[in-house]
Amino acid sequence: MSGTRSTPSRSPGCPECDGQVRTDGTERVCGDCGLVIEADRIDHGPEWRSFADDDASPERTGAPRTRARHDRGLSTEIGRSTRLTGRKKRRLARMRTHHKRSKIGSKRERNRVYSYTEIRRLIGELGLPESVRDQACALFDSAQDANLLRGRSLEGFSAAAVYAAARAANVARTRTEVREAAKATAGEQDAAFDAMNRELGLPVGPTDPAEYLPRFASDLDCSSAVERRARELARRAVEEGIAGGRDPSGVAAACLYTAGRQVDASGAVTQREAADVADVTPVTVRSTYVDIRGYRSRD
Amino acid sequence: MNRQDLRTVSREYFSDDRLAEHHFRSFNNFLGRGMQDVVDEKERIETDIGDKEGQEPVYVELGDVRMVTPRVREADGSEELLYPQEARLRNITYSAPVFMEMSIVRGGEDEPETVVDSTETKVGRMPVMVGSDKCNMAGFSDEELIDIGEDPVDPGGYFIVNGSERVLMTSEDLAPNKILAEYDTKYGDEIQVAKTFSQRRGYRALVLCERNREGLLEVSFPSVSGSIDFVTLVRALGLESDEEIVHRVSDDPEIVKYMLENLEEAEVQTEEEAIEELGKRVASGQGKNYQLKRANYVIDRYLLPHLHEEGVEDEDVRINKAYYLCRMAEACFELALDRRESDDKDHYANKRLKVSGDLMKDLFRTALNKLARDVKYQLERANMRNRDLTVNTVVRSDVLTERLEHPIATGNWVGGRSGVSQLVDRTDYMGVLSHLRRLRSPLSRSQPHFEARDLHATQWGRICPSETPEGPNCGLVKNFAQAMELSQNVEDEQGLKRELASMGVEGIPGIEGVDRQTADD
Repeated sequence: MSGTRSTPSRSPGCPECDGQVRTDGTERVCGDCGLVIEADRIDHGPEWRSFADDDASPERTGAPRTRARHDRGLSTEIGRSTRLTGRKKRRLARMRTHHKRSKIGSKRERNRVYSYTEIRRLIGELGLPESVRDQACALFDSAQDANLLRGRSLEGFSAAAVYAAARAANVARTRTEVREAAKATAGEQDAAFDAMNRELGLPVGPTDPAEYLPRFASDLDCSSAVERRARELARRAVEEGIAGGRDPSGVAAACLYTAGRQVDASGAVTQREAADVADVTPVTVRSTYVDIRGYRSRD
Repeated sequence: MNRQDLRTVSREYFSDDRLAEHHFRSFNNFLGRGMQDVVDEKERIETDIGDKEGQEPVYVELGDVRMVTPRVREADGSEELLYPQEARLRNITYSAPVFMEMSIVRGGEDEPETVVDSTETKVGRMPVMVGSDKCNMAGFSDEELIDIGEDPVDPGGYFIVNGSERVLMTSEDLAPNKILAEYDTKYGDEIQVAKTFSQRRGYRALVLCERNREGLLEVSFPSVSGSIDFVTLVRALGLESDEEIVHRVSDDPEIVKYMLENLEEAEVQTEEEAIEELGKRVASGQGKNYQLKRANYVIDRYLLPHLHEEGVEDEDVRINKAYYLCRMAEACFELALDRRESDDKDHYANKRLKVSGDLMKDLFRTALNKLARDVKYQLERANMRNRDLTVNTVVRSDVLTERLEHPIATGNWVGGRSGVSQLVDRTDYMGVLSHLRRLRSPLSRSQPHFEARDLHATQWGRICPSETPEGPNCGLVKNFAQAMELSQNVEDEQGLKRELASMGVEGIPGIEGVDRQTADD
């Protein structure tokens, strides 16, 4: 179906009575006389494309551009053929080697290749969306441009970039979660993050404990009722300033623990379990629990 | 049986959900054994670490592979079970995480081998066939299916990749590991050729045995350009004396005559000479030692690979390769003497069907190789940068996922075949059923191929005689008959061979210790 469909506001009105036309789900209906002007806007068929000349035509070729490659995914590769033999085959092998080497021009670029690979791996490992991946790569570029890398490790910057990008995109992972997946040590990651935060002014405020809830809830096998209650508690905790000065992941764990007790006391998770998924001490969970257990649900 | 009984039986037969059964059986088989087989074939990932002085070599040992049921990981990190309808609506892939046991082992040179790190790690995601054993709705009742938004009469048997339903086309290939004798023309003369597509573990090699116009036998196989003398090759394989060669080919006096002509023309007499001669062919212009090494390697690697056996030295199967070549020679001569007809390539006994599980196995094999290359690279990189080598940080799980999803999404399979996966035809219910039971011949539709398009007598009961498209694909795209049952490969090939050996079959390598109950004792 064509994409040049006029919007209801600019449409000329009902063809029969000139009344106001409204769009109702998949139908366009006249509001006055009830005439259905158009129904069923779903395109059921596959996108029609011809692949007949795909082999010959260079028009459609390669993957889309991506931020997550040092060359934006635009580089070419010399392919292989089984038909070539002898001298020509060896010549092509030589050309391939040179071609591969020429892809990386400088030490800077080499570092970028390595770090981008690590960032892509981390994103896949942590199950973060592609936008975060591109953001993390851009962040790494900024760090490189600001000469922050000297004396710090590439692995640290990769991990820190992923951590910061995830946090900025409101899909925060805890430091420990990133570190466990990363090649970097805790020290390297923290050094890199501190440097970036200081020099680049990262747009990261305190993490909302609610961001951690879905993940912790699925790790702890909580029911959706518990998760919903925990979300309410988390909002109250933030509103009333209880979350301030506490580790947000600890607050999230405490909310889940509290919600578990309130919704279904028998099957609730223990403080220890909640603390383990959030990687905080049970003491943190307990102290937050003491503060929020008075909250009653509104219904 | 009277008519009433027949009706009852057939009703019972057709009431069962068996329309996509061949897909389920094949894919479940792949999940149950195929995946582990592929991993066991690979066994380990070698690295270049340790090539330098004073460095201990490192390799990765691959262990058990395990798969769970499909689940989706949200951006917030939570993980939930995924049902097909959700995958369709959200344009995501109905796939399940695959885990593999991997251990990094260092040492073996000066120090003893030590396991540096050993864990079960997620290696990627495998698209899951709707309705298979690993599908989340396996064993659901109709009511439960309706609850999760699924149509209870939907046959399943397809995959969901990026929200679109994809069915893997069954493909009809020439049977591998079988001698097919046929006529061919070369420089205007008619010659006789015996062909074998030798296949083992995804490696496919065509071995040709030709009887040229002078009546001499020539063999060609991959990695040898042109062809090589039959007698030279069997001598290189250890079948040395004239008498033995002739006897192994045939006792027929006329064939013996032909064979003697061949032996007279032979350039080499002993095994050593033959291997030298072969070395000159496979590595001309190289040093003598390298030629010999290369010749031995080529024989054990590229010639008739299907005769190899698990856990049997390559050298021990050489004589079997020689015997096999003799069978091919016999087929050529018999064809030349009009003792037999040329084999019918369209005969259904000479065909094998590749169903979704076989196709997925091919895919998984190349994907795993790609993953292995990546792990090797990551390990070398980590080692160079003096990092601790841990399994979790060297496996990039998107490598495998990407390699498995992309071919299903586009239809561009490994080995350059395209159109292997197709969008399920949802025009109507019958369309779906027909699509799931369709099979495709790999022959090009732009060429006539009259015989291949014809209805063959052996298709009786197997292939529907009337359902085929009109136009260029006529006769190349076929559909299963209603009551067709697809038989499968034996599960335990070793067991079968042991059984055969106990019944008196001799010369199966690796199975010598079996007590033979022969008829005369």
